[in-house]
Amino acid sequence: MPALMDFALDPRAIGLPSREDLLEMRIWDSHYHGISQHDHVMPYFDRMGVERVFSLDVGFMRQTQEETAAGIAKDFAVLETWKHRMSGLCRIEPGRVDDTLEHMNRCIRHGPCIGFKTGGYHQGPFTVAHPNYDPIIRLAAELDAVIYIHSVFQVGGNPRRYDGGNAVAESNPRDVAALAGRFPDVKMICGHQGTEWELGIRQIRPHKNVYLEFSGWPPESGSVDFAVKELGIDRLVWGCHAPSRSFSNALSQVYDAKLTPAQRKLIFGTNLRKISAAIHRRKGIKVEI
Amino acid sequence: MFMNPIPRRSFLKNSLVTAAALGLPSRVPAQPGKPATGGSVAAGAFIVDTNVNTGWWPFRHMKYSATPDLVAKLRKHKIKRAWAGSYDALFQKNIDSVNTRLAEDCRVNGGGILVPFGTVNPAFPDWEEDLRRCHEVHKMPGIRLHPIYNGYTLESPEFKHLLDGAARRGLLVQIAIDMEDERKQHPLVNVPAVDVAPLPDILKQIPNVRVMLVNPFRHVRGAKLKAMVERTDVTFEFSNLDGLSSVERILPDAMPWKPYHPLGRILSGGANPTVPLERLLFGSNAPFMPLEQSLFKLIESPLTRAQIDALAFGNADRILVPA
Repeated sequence: MPALMDFALDPRAIGLPSREDLLEMRIWDSHYHGISQHDHVMPYFDRMGVERVFSLDVGFMRQTQEETAAGIAKDFAVLETWKHRMSGLCRIEPGRVDDTLEHMNRCIRHGPCIGFKTGGYHQGPFTVAHPNYDPIIRLAAELDAVIYIHSVFQVGGNPRRYDGGNAVAESNPRDVAALAGRFPDVKMICGHQGTEWELGIRQIRPHKNVYLEFSGWPPESGSVDFAVKELGIDRLVWGCHAPSRSFSNALSQVYDAKLTPAQRKLIFGTNLRKISAAIHRRKGIKVEI
Repeated sequence: MFMNPIPRRSFLKNSLVTAAALGLPSRVPAQPGKPATGGSVAAGAFIVDTNVNTGWWPFRHMKYSATPDLVAKLRKHKIKRAWAGSYDALFQKNIDSVNTRLAEDCRVNGGGILVPFGTVNPAFPDWEEDLRRCHEVHKMPGIRLHPIYNGYTLESPEFKHLLDGAARRGLLVQIAIDMEDERKQHPLVNVPAVDVAPLPDILKQIPNVRVMLVNPFRHVRGAKLKAMVERTDVTFEFSNLDGLSSVERILPDAMPWKPYHPLGRILSGGANPTVPLERLLFGSNAPFMPLEQSLFKLIESPLTRAQIDALAFGNADRILVPA
């Protein structure tokens, strides 16, 4: 294999952006899963011209405080080393609201994290529509925290429905819309709408405080065109989901869409910088929009 | 530039003998349709896309559904040839009509790029005539099968008979493993992926057949992929190969570390056996997937130019002799 920064084929020769073009986009990745293998993974982000990543796997809430503390210490050390390129979002547990609030204070208010991510694996049937999320969102708003919501429509159930395949704790865009309706002034990211995006986008469309992120699913041509048409260019943020997904997947969705370079730049980074500028400043990280 | 031949590459010699006995061409050249008016392969085009579709996807209008739009997109990105099936073959019963329209569409609108791959459904009466027409009337170099959509499995006797027939004619057989993520299918459509487990034993009985898996990597993984690699000569296109630097990761001795998901799931590439370079081909699954996705795979992985050439056209040109 050639060196990681060598390109045997000029991307422009096949109608793709060069690395210099990608650098010009100032790409901020809202969905990074590589923290535990960061030294191996990050060189590929250099190759593909990514400026900053949001690691979503910082500070999982474990069963005991000792386990949680041990994980936090390890993750915070990586964040400290890479704070010039990496921001951290902690995990929460909506079935344990008081613990979650304490965890957010530790990780976000007093720690290096800039927000939190929800998942589909929580300890109980708590989607983001559940009232347990209300105090969590209020605290997040107070801290200017970034809110990333794992949200999917998956077909399944009996009888089969387009939304019947979710896990019991797995939010769908309808849940996001319910939460967004209760907190219309709080910005939140509806993640993974590369799933049933034709329906998910319609679901969140009325809620101007909800941003859309595509990652984690096979890419489909036309999806970003549709999102831009229905939501507007200012409500899309980019996520890669590497290393479990590829740059090829995530970049292609944006380059498939009929957009100007300026519009692509908004999706690739500007919109996410706007959402997160306040909390980054609290952490002493200057953000040039 | 190219690797050692596939061990059972003796099929070539054998198929020459068989085809000569039948009075058939041994390996049908890829014959891109000649455009009725204008159109040509773009200057500098070099990529062979082994997996595109024309026709109408039943569940969504796609931005490149119209063949001229698809061809313009392929031309823009330096695709010199694209092996085209038809979405119409998934549900329509008059499969000969589907194949005839596909051939005509490629001829009239294909811009010298599209190569038609018709579909034969061995569960239908007199499928042998459909196979004959694909080969003799439409001059197709291969066929694309949709086993689950068309109502049969690889264990059915008709499937083996079809492979026999394709082998006698020297046709490449593409088997579409899936057409979309099953978690996103229309609720009324519950189509599982093709189970390839029976394939090694079947192919052992038909030494001359050439088989390629289309959209393979969501479901042909782990032990199944290992069996495909070690016990057959099938080839794979990489449209749904995903994960960081996925092409690098699936090639032998390419990546010394294995990425994993923080929640503990081993990634597809990490758990997969490797695939020899000469058996991996460029495929895009356009217009369903963005064409750019597969193009970026040639960039995201740090590949040598020889590897890129093998993936982009060398392997395909070896399998189907260009016209």
